[in-house]
Amino acid sequence: MSTDQITAKRVSTNSASTKHISVKRYLPDTSTETYWQEYDLPVDDSTSLLDALNHIKEQLDSTLSYRWSCRMAICGSCGVMVNGIPKLGCKTFLRDYEGDIRIEPLSHFPVQRDLVVDMAIFLEHLAAVKPYLIGDNPVKPYDPKAPETYQQTPEQLARYKQFANCINCGLCYSACPQFGLNPEFLGPAALTLAHRYNLDSRDNGKKARMAELNRHDGVWSCTFVGFCSKVCPKHVDPAAAVNQGKVEAAKHTLIALFKG
Amino acid sequence: MDKSSSQRLPPLKRTWWLKHRFFKLYMLREATVLPLVFFTLCLLAGMVALLQGADSWQGWIAFMGSPIVLLLNLVALAASLFHAATFFVLFPRVMPIRIAGHSLPDQAIVAGQWAGVVVVALLFFWLLGRGA
Repeated sequence: MSTDQITAKRVSTNSASTKHISVKRYLPDTSTETYWQEYDLPVDDSTSLLDALNHIKEQLDSTLSYRWSCRMAICGSCGVMVNGIPKLGCKTFLRDYEGDIRIEPLSHFPVQRDLVVDMAIFLEHLAAVKPYLIGDNPVKPYDPKAPETYQQTPEQLARYKQFANCINCGLCYSACPQFGLNPEFLGPAALTLAHRYNLDSRDNGKKARMAELNRHDGVWSCTFVGFCSKVCPKHVDPAAAVNQGKVEAAKHTLIALFKG
Repeated sequence: MDKSSSQRLPPLKRTWWLKHRFFKLYMLREATVLPLVFFTLCLLAGMVALLQGADSWQGWIAFMGSPIVLLLNLVALAASLFHAATFFVLFPRVMPIRIAGHSLPDQAIVAGQWAGVVVVALLFFWLLGRGA
């Protein structure tokens, strides 16, 4: 049985059809110019964009480069622009698209090859806000009679839980025009994670984080465009977190003013 | 291979906001300040006219009654209402209100803000009615 027959058989189970997608190619070892490459793919109702890219890689064109891992919206690797909107490939279904489907690498990041971008600056911004518990309960040797645990009530958890769902996919950075204009802006995900730890009842690191947050390239570069929250695949609402961060930063400044 | 030479970062063009409906709405929200600047300048001119005396004040009243100024100020009113509508929706996300450990629903906060607008408007009309 040829590959074509297998493909045809597989897609024939469910409203099979063919879709046309265009991928922005960039192969720096052959040319510094980008170009659009067209592919025709067999699709059914369950074909995700990531399935489509895998099909291209395996059946049509092995030179295509892209990132992926979990295929279930938890690793955050497969972010690409779909018709100009940042999306996770695994959470985007071709059934929802009629006509043109244009795939590009994530905006506002340097492109290394095809759909692979360099996220180094995003990782630097994440590290800069100290996204971990600071000055929490010291870990003591385990005593079975009086076990010490990090205790937190459901109410205390509820305060930051939404902001803890970030998977670091970087879609919000591609959605943010302020990050596009100024890559030094810490950006939605980093500021959200900072806010998430500031809200955590176990954390005592707010003061240490404020120096990073309360400056021009921190929360104050945000103008509440709000597109980051629209594109977030985990409904984290980074725009809300960043702007709550502005309130905290303003309080911090006022308190510092009176303390002298 | 040199890493930096292999990378490509197209700069963001000034027309970035024309790419998507969401960005156009954002720019419209930000642009509401322009007609409001005009209205604020009108009010400022009114204060100056009041200080300069009766003739000047009458002149200002006539200026405010001219069709083009009325039209511009109607635009300013529409712009401020549009800005309020967008701002009120954003407010509960920026300042979530928690009472006794429970967060107030967003719709309640938005409704509260519109109720505030109605109260201020009623107060304004009452004052205006007393003056007449």
